[in-house]
Amino acid sequence: MLKLLFRFGTPSLAVGCLIMLGLIVKNRDWPSHLFTPANLQSFKILFISIILEAFPFILLGVLFSALLQVFVTDELIRKFTPKNPVAGVLFGALLGIAFPLCECGMIPVVRRLIRKGMPAYIGIVYLLAGPIVNPIVYTSTFTAFRTTPEMAYSRMGLAFAVSVVIGLLLYAFMKKSPLKAAPAFHVLPHRGHGHNHDHDHDHGSLGKGFRGRVASVLSHASDEFFDMGKYLIFGALLTAIIQTVIERSALESFADQPLLAYLFMMAFAFILSICSTSDAFIASSLSGMFDFGPLLAFLVFGPMIDLKNTLMLLSTFRVKFVLALIALTAVLTFIGAWLTEVLL
Amino acid sequence: MIHHLIRAAILTGFAMFILYLDRTGEMSLYIAPRMELYVKLSALGLYAAAVYQIYAALQKRMGRQTPDCDCGHEPSRSILKNTLIYGLFIFPLLLGFLVPTGTLGSALAAKKGVSLTGSAAIERPALPEETGANPDPAAPPADAPPPEDSLDSLFPSDEYTEDHAAYGKQLVREPVISVPEKQFIETLTTLDLFREAFIGKEVELTGFVYREDDMGEGRFAVSRFAMNCCSADAMPYGLMIEWPKAIDYANDEWVTVKGKLVASTYLENEIIMLEATKLERVEAPESPYVYPDLEFGM
Repeated sequence: MLKLLFRFGTPSLAVGCLIMLGLIVKNRDWPSHLFTPANLQSFKILFISIILEAFPFILLGVLFSALLQVFVTDELIRKFTPKNPVAGVLFGALLGIAFPLCECGMIPVVRRLIRKGMPAYIGIVYLLAGPIVNPIVYTSTFTAFRTTPEMAYSRMGLAFAVSVVIGLLLYAFMKKSPLKAAPAFHVLPHRGHGHNHDHDHDHGSLGKGFRGRVASVLSHASDEFFDMGKYLIFGALLTAIIQTVIERSALESFADQPLLAYLFMMAFAFILSICSTSDAFIASSLSGMFDFGPLLAFLVFGPMIDLKNTLMLLSTFRVKFVLALIALTAVLTFIGAWLTEVLL
Repeated sequence: MIHHLIRAAILTGFAMFILYLDRTGEMSLYIAPRMELYVKLSALGLYAAAVYQIYAALQKRMGRQTPDCDCGHEPSRSILKNTLIYGLFIFPLLLGFLVPTGTLGSALAAKKGVSLTGSAAIERPALPEETGANPDPAAPPADAPPPEDSLDSLFPSDEYTEDHAAYGKQLVREPVISVPEKQFIETLTTLDLFREAFIGKEVELTGFVYREDDMGEGRFAVSRFAMNCCSADAMPYGLMIEWPKAIDYANDEWVTVKGKLVASTYLENEIIMLEATKLERVEAPESPYVYPDLEFGM
């Protein structure tokens, strides 16, 4: 199933891309109202701006991940990770305060951490909580919701709660590694770590000197950049098309129905795929229309799961695992946001 | 080796694209000023990666081993798949270099929905009970600024609207309130929050023409996109204006309007509106966007 998805998934994504390219060339005389020059301009600006905005973060992520790979030993990571599962989950949920990374940079780092021996459930907790529970996002939420500071507190609190619950559930029920298997033909002989860990590296030909390590960092970083970049660009492409074509007012009819408002805001966050540092400003611009609860759901669900990072997750984790993670996050965010609305 | 060269070319392409945007000043169309530095730094990173890829290609050519790992990011063996993946990377570059750049305009504003009442996050404070001490709303303080003590009753505020009230007291003294680029949203929000105090005042602002069918022939909104990080999060804000020959102005034309602030309704919402006394076409400003002033009230 997984192989099938990727065999046909990736090419078909790219075919869509080429179709777009063809449309752009022909676009000038296109009669349909969707392909007006104004829409093309909007599409171009949104598409490129999402890519540009994500570049610094994704580069930071792959660089950080490569540095971890080359300079930090597996033993060190295992030493620093708490052994107790509850402590480990809390550690993962608060790691973002020390290492604030946004969701684009997060995935390569978490993948690296898991491969280097951090328990997967802790890595996933960091993946979910990190983009929200950190000082940068707290400040931007506080600024955007000046008049309702409860929003910043609830956002931090709910994100923390959701990720901790997911972490504990994963600890209890996840048996296999959630990572996709590394291709077998690259497995190299071990240098005697004594543990069964098949991602060891052989940089012997470059030596262990500083120069060799720098080359190794650059090699990892630039390869990983392409690895993540294709999902980022495709996600940006979809996001830009959706934003250009779909009218918000067409969706606003959901705002009145209490239940649908939550689902709508979560779907909206998924589609928008904006960075967790700026989504609070979008949410605040919608606060005339939506109640506290749906806005909170938007702010908690969006950074954890969105279109762009789902594609990136799929590149790293098994399909079934990603689907389960999305479902779990959605349900917990929904319940949590609804409870907060009722209780506050 | 071919992979290294293609990757080097793509990485250089992106680095050059960022440089190009910076040189032509087009960067501001995509990214907010506070993000620009990071994007420029990432160009350096991309460039370094490109240099490494060329180095790796040369190493391969000389038959030497490059660091190899099994992280699962080796290029695929299928030519079709590779073409498509690299095509995905080349696509935004082609789009960026070859398609002429415009600005976001009313087409996207219509999709996103223009806010005509400033920032919706700031709610109107509950007005105190009307007493005899309050100024008669029929006699707006249009000409002479009211003395200090009556100002407080004109700007009732709670802890959340304090900053806007303070800013409003400052604004109301000015003979003509011109809506600045720097605090575009904050000014519109203040005008809307304390509209009783500002009705009858002269207001001036610049923006692009945006209209909806419901506005009719005599009205349109003078709007700007407010950007936080990148244009994907830009939201349009505007002020409705009324002008007998509004129909002469096409969507997306840039205008400067001056007029008297009145209360009006649009789609059953109370809004503030300018009865224009002067309307002229202007050149599009250097940056079509406005940015929320993060230091407002600090």
